[in-house]
Amino acid sequence: METETAQLLKIPADGNYGDVMVLGGGVSGIQASLDLATAGYKVYLVEKSPAIGGHMSQLDKTYPTNDCSM
Amino acid sequence: MGDFSVTLNRKPRYVIEDRCTGCTTCVEYCPVEYPDQFNQEISENKAVHIFFAQAIPLIAYIDESCLYLKEKKCRICENVCKADAIDLGQKAQKMEIKVAAIVLATGYDTYDPSLKNEYGYGRMTNVVTSMDFERLLCATGPYEGEILRASDRKHPHKIAWIQCVGSRRVTPGDNSYCSAVCCSYTQKQVILTKDHDADAKLTVFHNDIRSYGKDFERYYQRAEELSDVRFIRSYTTVAREDPETKNVFVRYATANDGVKEEEFDMVVLSVGLNPPADYQGLADKFGIELTEHGFCLASTTNPIGTTRPGVYVCGAFQGPMDIPESVFTASGAGTQCGELLDYRRGGLTRERVYPAEKDVSQEKPRIGVFVCHCGSNIGRVVDVPNTVDYALSLPNVVYAQEQLFSCATNSAKEITDTIKEKGLNRVVVAACSPRTLEPLFRDTLREAGLNQYYYDMANIREHCSWCHSKEKEESTRKAQDIIRMSVARAGHLKPLQEMDLPVNKAALVVGGGLAGMTSALSMANQGHEVHLVEKENDLGGMARRLHYTLDGLDVQEYLDRLVRQVYRHPAIHVYTNAEIVEATGYVGNFVTKLTSDRGPSEIKHGATIVAVGVDVYKPTEYLYGQDERVLTHLELEERISSGDEAVTGAQTLVMIQCVGCRNTDRNYCSRVCCSESIKNALKLKEINPEMDVYILFRDIRTYGMLEDYYREASAEDVKFIRYEPENPPQVEATEEEGRPVLQVSLMDYVLGMELAIGADIVTLAAAVIPREDNKDISQLFKVSLGPDDFFKEAHVKLRPVDFATDGVYLCGTAHYPKHIPEAINQAYGAAGRALTLLSNDIVTVSGSVCEVDEARCMGCEACGRACSYGAIEFRKTKQGKKAVVNPVLCKGDGLCNAKCPTGAIYLKHFTDEELLSQIDAMSATA
Amino acid sequence: MCSGRVDLEFVLRALANGMDGVFIGGCRLGECNYVTHGNYHALNMALLCKKIMAHIGLNPERLRIEFMSAGEGNLFTEVVDNFTKQVRGLGPLGKGEGEDLEPEALQERLREVTKLIPYIKLIMNAKLSQRLSPGEYEDYYTTEEIDALFSEVASYFIDPEKCQACQICLRRCPVEAIEGGKNRIHVIDQDKCIKCGTCFEACPPRFGAVTKISGGPVPPPIPEADRALERKGKGAEA
Repeated sequence: METETAQLLKIPADGNYGDVMVLGGGVSGIQASLDLATAGYKVYLVEKSPAIGGHMSQLDKTYPTNDCSM
Repeated sequence: MGDFSVTLNRKPRYVIEDRCTGCTTCVEYCPVEYPDQFNQEISENKAVHIFFAQAIPLIAYIDESCLYLKEKKCRICENVCKADAIDLGQKAQKMEIKVAAIVLATGYDTYDPSLKNEYGYGRMTNVVTSMDFERLLCATGPYEGEILRASDRKHPHKIAWIQCVGSRRVTPGDNSYCSAVCCSYTQKQVILTKDHDADAKLTVFHNDIRSYGKDFERYYQRAEELSDVRFIRSYTTVAREDPETKNVFVRYATANDGVKEEEFDMVVLSVGLNPPADYQGLADKFGIELTEHGFCLASTTNPIGTTRPGVYVCGAFQGPMDIPESVFTASGAGTQCGELLDYRRGGLTRERVYPAEKDVSQEKPRIGVFVCHCGSNIGRVVDVPNTVDYALSLPNVVYAQEQLFSCATNSAKEITDTIKEKGLNRVVVAACSPRTLEPLFRDTLREAGLNQYYYDMANIREHCSWCHSKEKEESTRKAQDIIRMSVARAGHLKPLQEMDLPVNKAALVVGGGLAGMTSALSMANQGHEVHLVEKENDLGGMARRLHYTLDGLDVQEYLDRLVRQVYRHPAIHVYTNAEIVEATGYVGNFVTKLTSDRGPSEIKHGATIVAVGVDVYKPTEYLYGQDERVLTHLELEERISSGDEAVTGAQTLVMIQCVGCRNTDRNYCSRVCCSESIKNALKLKEINPEMDVYILFRDIRTYGMLEDYYREASAEDVKFIRYEPENPPQVEATEEEGRPVLQVSLMDYVLGMELAIGADIVTLAAAVIPREDNKDISQLFKVSLGPDDFFKEAHVKLRPVDFATDGVYLCGTAHYPKHIPEAINQAYGAAGRALTLLSNDIVTVSGSVCEVDEARCMGCEACGRACSYGAIEFRKTKQGKKAVVNPVLCKGDGLCNAKCPTGAIYLKHFTDEELLSQIDAMSATA
Repeated sequence: MCSGRVDLEFVLRALANGMDGVFIGGCRLGECNYVTHGNYHALNMALLCKKIMAHIGLNPERLRIEFMSAGEGNLFTEVVDNFTKQVRGLGPLGKGEGEDLEPEALQERLREVTKLIPYIKLIMNAKLSQRLSPGEYEDYYTTEEIDALFSEVASYFIDPEKCQACQICLRRCPVEAIEGGKNRIHVIDQDKCIKCGTCFEACPPRFGAVTKISGGPVPPPIPEADRALERKGKGAEA
């Protein structure tokens, strides 16, 4: 994840021009955005609620390992 | 395609994002209480609040219940916010964004059971949905992890789950498909409820148990074996509520006992997954087509592509799916965007540039301490000014100051400036958890030309002011203790370099089946050389034995097309009849030696994808191998497609499911066989409508959209008869009225009688099994296998196509049995993950890794045994065997340190010296 | 860094510093987000440490290891409150131990054990890495085993009659506990020695100068003045 975070720190160029728009900031949208940004694309991640995370952030734990879902 | 203009309406947050520090002071003062959306409206939150405790961004927002927004009153939050972050005048903003590709990751909505009267949801207080129950279970939930009933706030002891709520039903308002996740999430809720209350009496009313995923079967057993847990196969409704106790009565029918009614303290409805609420609007806006169920329409051969080029779909908008599928379809959408946009990669992004690093390693420590008020979060409990004075009294501390919010942009700048001005060479920030903000402050040091590892974070919020908010004096003392420990450690910190390794841009794909070829093509289309290695003579793998799919794909035709594409692609090099001899190297720099039709080769590559596929079990049961009328389902498919009349002309054909798995030898479900048998049954019925086709099953596991084919098969009069594993069918070669038959006898639990079926052909759904050479492959590439000998991913949910070994990825059936569209999804996913590595010229490795002081190493190998990553090797020297750490493979867990007798191996940044200095400082009262 | 990084020495150091209790927190067992499952290593270390504490007369209840997830703040509070109460009940270190321990005696015992950490890690290595199941914790390390561990501590001694001053053991010693040099008979500094046995293994069998002494006292080192090696008989043979 560290390299990915580093990639996200890249400063985007000006203007509302991007390579990809990802609609939805749940686990799938987050993963798509991270992968695309790490691969060198400028991404707009669009989410309707005040925070990203989607349904998964509401889950207590996940099967079949009972890992925390955060 | 390649040129979309999207108009967005950015809703006002009424909070200025750059200024809000997430201190939650406003939340405390806000007078409005409003049902908390995140907690399923079970508890209340304030009009201004943070969406949930770990939200990203971790800043407040104001919802529609705000008094000011409704009646222009109040504005308390504005006044209490020390960061001046509230802006009640914010307006919605229209934005136009131009992009070249779009990924739809809209997710799903949960089924709303209040639409149907029969479940009592909304009418009966103690009927909740499974999503409500998730929040009840959760420590950050409405009752802080206590499971309580809404009616009396008491712990329910007797809880029932009703499965398939809104799913697998053709009645109006319900979904005909299976929601694919409810069986397992219910088992999880059962297990977690027992963790909360060991004496709870729990009942699950279910239809088929669909434990079709990796390790799901064991999980089901784990839930089922708990004491006082009952799984009852039945048709179930919510009957009524006791007006006094508010207990809920459930009516259910079983084959043995008929209709019964039972009282429960709480009923959980296992609600299914709907398409996103505004699916029609989405389809209109993005110009894509939908399935009849409202999910995104895609093809079998590319479930990620929509009907509009340049628009991709991942996650549950493809159809109901579990988290790992949501993750790898996302990575798959990433690689498909890359195939389209490779020419412009990197054009819109810029690298950060940092000032040159000063060497201060020879200087005496000059430590600066910054104590954060965190608004009032720390400041009103801990005496910050006093703590600053205290910090100044500590050894090596040359500077200390307080800050209102250390994380605010101007404060970070202040730290950078102070480092330069005061000549600091170590920094301690006493604030919150390093988990969120350590990267920011390390960055702050880099901006000032200091090595980023000269930083330590003292957590005086989560570890102090938040948990002892009533004891101010003690909290101040504890904050000072924590800072003293940090300062002690800071004095011992060493500058560490993160290593930049070059990345070889080529990829190796092991396995030339559908998954391997799909990954290879996607990477090659983005300009990467791909070496595709196949053990057999031809490409194609297991798909060579499949001919048609439920949704009408001609598998052989598709496969031939794919093989041609692979061979014609100038960047793909195919090695057939290949055997891998040796694999060495590490992320970005692997070297693999093999022999193949091309002779011996040595391949240098940056990434590896393991897509070796699976085998099929050779049955020993049911006369297989003794009577030629007994076939496996794959053999049946071959006979059908070749038009063998002994098969297509049969009067009666019996299929037996679960042969060779879901037993003690192979404690897993092969996932594909139910649908495969139904596929063949439908084909047979199409060719010969007179044929009697029986499917003898344990649970029919046609999860997701496959359920519709199960229904179709029933409608076509395919007879489904359930058997129990302890009483399996018997097959005997005999004669029936002069006709030689295979007599299949079994107990029919619905009719309550023994049946004997005279079959012409018996087919066996033989288990999908891991390849025998998986062990060799796993050892070569230093990756692990799971308990059933399938390859083991790095994290079952969040990293489903990564291995724990960096630079090695996984896809297809090597991971677990799966259908063709699933394997393709995952193949694109693995390609997408590999590209996140291959797209970059360098890969950075953490500086906090282990190193060996050779003189102290006695060569006992204790460290090597403790390392899960194979990062430690032993080299012969004149002074005996010595450990050597490969810093690229080391993950910095430090287990080897605790095992080393002489302290020869040490984890940088967490050395004995550093940690013991903290332990000593802890007890050294100043 | 994983909870499995917690070293036996960290716990003993905290106790030696006068801490009345030590608490180790790890992730929930079996739920490792990586492939390491290092929390089992931490558990093993803690179980061993408790037995060692009991061996030197400290109440093992002063060490507690618990496993929980980051989402279980309430459980953490509960556990820590409970542990604090328990330690408070035991009183200051040296008191609630069954027998009262004088501070000096206590320090002396902790010093002794700390010195033996390398030896303990060496002997117990195989056992320290096992992944235990619930129910196995209690008797994984037995009191007899720990008593034996300490009673069988070996010391190493270089027989000045046999030492050929070849410097092999001297170079191999991981802690520079062997004094000597060319033509100077080697002597082990028993204070520095960690009893790893490297010298014993390293000494060429034809010399057999290093002996392992279990139980009994180690002979005193030969005086500095007598350490020059006389190569007697060498000429005769040649």
